[in-house]
Amino acid sequence: MSNSTLADCEAKSTNTLPEQPGVLVVRKHHFLVRLSHWLNVPILLGLILSGISIYWASPIYQHKPDPNTGNVDVAADIGIWICAHVPGLHHYSSPPDWIYNHMSLGPGMLALALRLHWLCAYLFMLNGMVYAAGLLMGGGWRSLLPRWSDLLDALRMFRYYLGFPFAKLARRQWLHPLFNTKYNALQRAAYSSVPVAGLLSVATGWAIHKPMQLHRLAAVFGGYNAARVWHFWLMWIYIQFVVPHVILVFADGSDTLRSMIVGWSTRVERSEVVANEQ
Amino acid sequence: MNSDEKGGRLKGKDIPSTGVGSDVKSASVTKLQRFFGERPLSAVEMAPRILRYQSRRDFLVFGAGALAGLAGAGFLLPQETLSRIGIHRNMNSPKKEWFLNKALRIDDDVAEALYSVNRRVPTYTKWQITPLKNNYNGSTPDPRYISGWKLTLDGLASGLSISLDIRSLLIRFSVQEQITRLVCVEGWSAIAWWAGLRFDDLLRAYPPMSQAKWARVESSVNLDASGNPDPYFMSLDLATARHPQTLLATHFNGQPLTVDHGAPLRLLVPVKLGLKNVKAITRITYVAEEPRDYWAERGYSRYDGI
Repeated sequence: MSNSTLADCEAKSTNTLPEQPGVLVVRKHHFLVRLSHWLNVPILLGLILSGISIYWASPIYQHKPDPNTGNVDVAADIGIWICAHVPGLHHYSSPPDWIYNHMSLGPGMLALALRLHWLCAYLFMLNGMVYAAGLLMGGGWRSLLPRWSDLLDALRMFRYYLGFPFAKLARRQWLHPLFNTKYNALQRAAYSSVPVAGLLSVATGWAIHKPMQLHRLAAVFGGYNAARVWHFWLMWIYIQFVVPHVILVFADGSDTLRSMIVGWSTRVERSEVVANEQ
Repeated sequence: MNSDEKGGRLKGKDIPSTGVGSDVKSASVTKLQRFFGERPLSAVEMAPRILRYQSRRDFLVFGAGALAGLAGAGFLLPQETLSRIGIHRNMNSPKKEWFLNKALRIDDDVAEALYSVNRRVPTYTKWQITPLKNNYNGSTPDPRYISGWKLTLDGLASGLSISLDIRSLLIRFSVQEQITRLVCVEGWSAIAWWAGLRFDDLLRAYPPMSQAKWARVESSVNLDASGNPDPYFMSLDLATARHPQTLLATHFNGQPLTVDHGAPLRLLVPVKLGLKNVKAITRITYVAEEPRDYWAERGYSRYDGI
């Protein structure tokens, strides 16, 4: 929704209810950005769960067959270790499958996992286009562009996060560094690198899906086998992004979470600071 | 803002040099910086009533979307996965299979659009060869079938059924060597040195009937895991069969094929997944309609172009 229609609504409402005070809000996220943000949750979950099921069929991290079990899969070793050391798991029926039973659709269902993976992959590509359209239409892409000052500002944010627990324990005041931009340097680094990771995941995905017709694309990543390793580790970028992302959103308060649903935020200070500077 | 400051400084520097070019340049740099520079979010005053109404609407829309997402996941996830998270109700439905197969068909169509008879797959040197395991689905057949082996061709333009033994194939056709990568649907791959006759040459020597678009390639000697006969059959589009690197391979690593690798004749079609590379072919039938496919009947794709 554009600002002009908001202004119209506002004008109408002030006509009918002149005594009611208005609320100052800023438009933070375009509707298409919000839509694609939430669609990413089931799509990425589907891609990761089916992806680990596919990984089961031919793990990229293997060792020589175990003399007793014949196992070659490092992920199965981790499952065996977990079942042996975590209390309550000593009687788990199939320790080598623990990882796949808990972090994927399950072992031994390659055909189904592949079908779900292709379905989610096509949806992921479509959703990426919706996201790009939302960034362009709402002008949000400008807030994501990295800048030189980010190098120093990222260090300031690191210092803030590192000192935060100690300051809390010592009951000392610990001020958040001030930025007059939509995102701070660390947020910007995260929010601009995840779309890049998305593009790389799609590119490596195509490279291993069609390694003959698209063999030049596979060669960009060092060939078919190397592209599989890329594809695997790109998945971890989403996981290591999502965990602090969710924690920090809740730590930041309801306004941030709400703004990804309704699009507006009542935090107008920063926008005013920027407006005054101009 | 930052960008404006920089633009200003650049302009100031450019003043002493009175060249027109530099003025134009600084103006365009400023313009670029303005274009890429972050803009302040504009604050709008909203009536609380409107804001409440819009928020409620957005929460309802996204909430309904979340519920739809959950229902979709319950609909699409395999039964084993659902029962592991505590949902024991039978969620299998023919619609689920239909939907997933539809998605698979889209991917197959993309693969078919990508295919070109002129696009060769990469070839490698002998130094790059990697080990190739025997990945027979089920048990490896008893090698005694090899002595009586014959290749039967059906669906020919002549209307005849032709049987050929390996000697006559090797005498009649020239042998082509290639070192290519074989990619398995499971994800592993192997670079191997093959030699054999081109499928295209066989198609020219024994042309299929005019309406044929597909080949059904089968092996009657395949066994299941417990050693019972389990004939393997696979559909191959004739466009792929005519690819210059599609071989009916007779040699592996410079030696005649061993029983592990499908002696005496196997299909080698590097533009398809390994599961289309039928070992120990006994019969090729040319047909007009897409024939049945062993792995497609077990939930895998039918075209399998890579």
